[in-house]
Amino acid sequence: MSASQSAVRSRAEAVAVSRTFDWMILFVLFTAVLGGYHIHFMLTGGDWDFWSDWKDRRLWVTVVPIVAITFPAAVQACLWWRYRLPIGATLCVLALLLGEWINRYMNFWGWTYFPINICFPSQLIPGAIILDVVLMLSGSMTLTAVAGGLGWGLIFYPSNWPVIAPLHQPVEYNGMMFTLADLSGYHYVRTGTPEYIRMVEKGTLRTFGKDVAPVSAFFSGFVSVIIYFLWHFFGKWFAGTGFIADDAS
Amino acid sequence: MKIIKDKVASLSFVALLMALTAAMFYAPTASAHGEKSQAAFMRMRTIHWYDLNWSKDEVAVNETVTISGKFHVFSGWPESVDEPDVSFLNIGIPGPVFIRAGSWIGGQLVPRSVALSLGETYDFKVLLKARRPGDWHVHTMMNVQGGGPIIGPGKWVTITGSMSQFVNPIVTLTGKTLDLETYNIGNIYFWHAVWYAVGVAWMWYWAKGPIFIPRQLAVASGKANTLISAGDKKVGIAFLVGTIVANAVLMGTTNEAYPVTTPLQAGTMRGIIPLELPVPSVSVVVDDATYRVPGRAMQMSLTITNNGDSSVRLGEFMTASVRFLEPNVLEDETGYPDDLLAEEGLTVSDNSPLAPGETRSVSVTASDAAWEVYRLADLIYDPDSRFAGLLFFFDEAGNRQMVMVDAPLIPSFI
Repeated sequence: MSASQSAVRSRAEAVAVSRTFDWMILFVLFTAVLGGYHIHFMLTGGDWDFWSDWKDRRLWVTVVPIVAITFPAAVQACLWWRYRLPIGATLCVLALLLGEWINRYMNFWGWTYFPINICFPSQLIPGAIILDVVLMLSGSMTLTAVAGGLGWGLIFYPSNWPVIAPLHQPVEYNGMMFTLADLSGYHYVRTGTPEYIRMVEKGTLRTFGKDVAPVSAFFSGFVSVIIYFLWHFFGKWFAGTGFIADDAS
Repeated sequence: MKIIKDKVASLSFVALLMALTAAMFYAPTASAHGEKSQAAFMRMRTIHWYDLNWSKDEVAVNETVTISGKFHVFSGWPESVDEPDVSFLNIGIPGPVFIRAGSWIGGQLVPRSVALSLGETYDFKVLLKARRPGDWHVHTMMNVQGGGPIIGPGKWVTITGSMSQFVNPIVTLTGKTLDLETYNIGNIYFWHAVWYAVGVAWMWYWAKGPIFIPRQLAVASGKANTLISAGDKKVGIAFLVGTIVANAVLMGTTNEAYPVTTPLQAGTMRGIIPLELPVPSVSVVVDDATYRVPGRAMQMSLTITNNGDSSVRLGEFMTASVRFLEPNVLEDETGYPDDLLAEEGLTVSDNSPLAPGETRSVSVTASDAAWEVYRLADLIYDPDSRFAGLLFFFDEAGNRQMVMVDAPLIPSFI
């Protein structure tokens, strides 16, 4: 067989090779995103995502969606404009959560013995599905950024509430009130994480009484729209194939 | 080329074997907390821990150990470290091998950061409940915002038993009793598994058909619009609506299940009450101080005046948690960590009782290997070459007075 001949000899073989190629690329993409997105998210979301006593109704709700929409926007740009595949956001979040769960279970629990109920990751999958479906239905980057990005921010708190609400029950302990999450953070000693670096319930958002989570979620969604645009362009640029002579797209 | 590749492969294999073998034969336990690496001036001129007591050396899982004592916040706090306006009484242990069942400063529970005042002395207590079996080095520790961790003395405590027996029972304000060690874990796993399955289902819907090559060819040939069918859109709408409705319903049912929830508690605690210590009747002036590098000894020339009504003798010099004792005056009976205790480390040129009203100039030498072992000798490389510490004087009845000293230190290299 010469170099100019096809490697396959029938349509069935071509389909089989194509499917093998699909799974190989999907696996490589999944693991590459897992690594890159996980590092990015640990560096930017960090403690807000690590600890239950950082998951507050102000900064956690605000920060995590904003820093988490980055890779989904970029991978969506690649998979949608090149392949019309509306799975970029979900693929990213599934990869991130798999990496996070491996880390939390193997390291946080298995190595340093923090109970999982203090170090579980935030839930991002509902937001990813909204992003992917809005992109698929609209075919528009602008609409996905505006409607999808806003939805991504707005659904974050409700999608996590079933898991964190039990930890926000109040406890009286030695004459002070805690939530169970606060008490976990106090009980399970983090030598390198003193209490004062915990950025929770800070800020000047005091005119909405106790209902600050929806306001924070709206703000988070709004900023997520902007970040989506930015990272979508990063993704488009990164997925470019201009380095191939006959493909200037 | 093949020869080079083979060589690289074989050398890599040899290197891997050597690394594994080295790890098998020499894998020491990492049990330090970096206390020796911390700049000497930070340990000498910030927080002075003293009168420390670890209630037990060995406990079973679920039993408690209390660490109590006092700490003096040095009034000559170094400029390069932020003042302790936001500080957290922590504990230096390798992860949650104990849980911190309680911590108090001046009798006030301090689960959050506190404001401390320079020049004041506070009593403290930390209650630890044993969780994970092993031998653990347990340090006192104060984290200072803008300054970092200021670690105090550490002592080995052994935990026996099995971690599977550990329980952490809590009663909520709604009357529910639960074990914080395991509470809510099943719920966390369940909802993460459910949403992961939903995400995988969405992925599977698209990955079950050709993904990359045929779709890329279709997009490149201008047929991108044919790749999303009406059926795809219906499935997408089902996922979208299902996700939104599910979250709305779950929010409602969760609120019904947990009608009483509160926000996380935060904020610096102020107004911590310091100890009211009597004003010392002994005054000390440091005339000069030198650190003799070859002899691992610090020598101070002191002018001591006794303004009290009973004679006193110098019994101890303490700095950076290292205690230099004058054996004729003081013996340690508290079980203080051996490596931090120089039982015969303090000599005084004339330590006869200093009578009331008397002033005497003496030469005091604090010498011990601890200067090197604890890297306090590195003080001579600090940007502000000063030392500080606590002097303890004792009268005939055994009453103790604490006097703080703070002065420039001149190194001597010969």
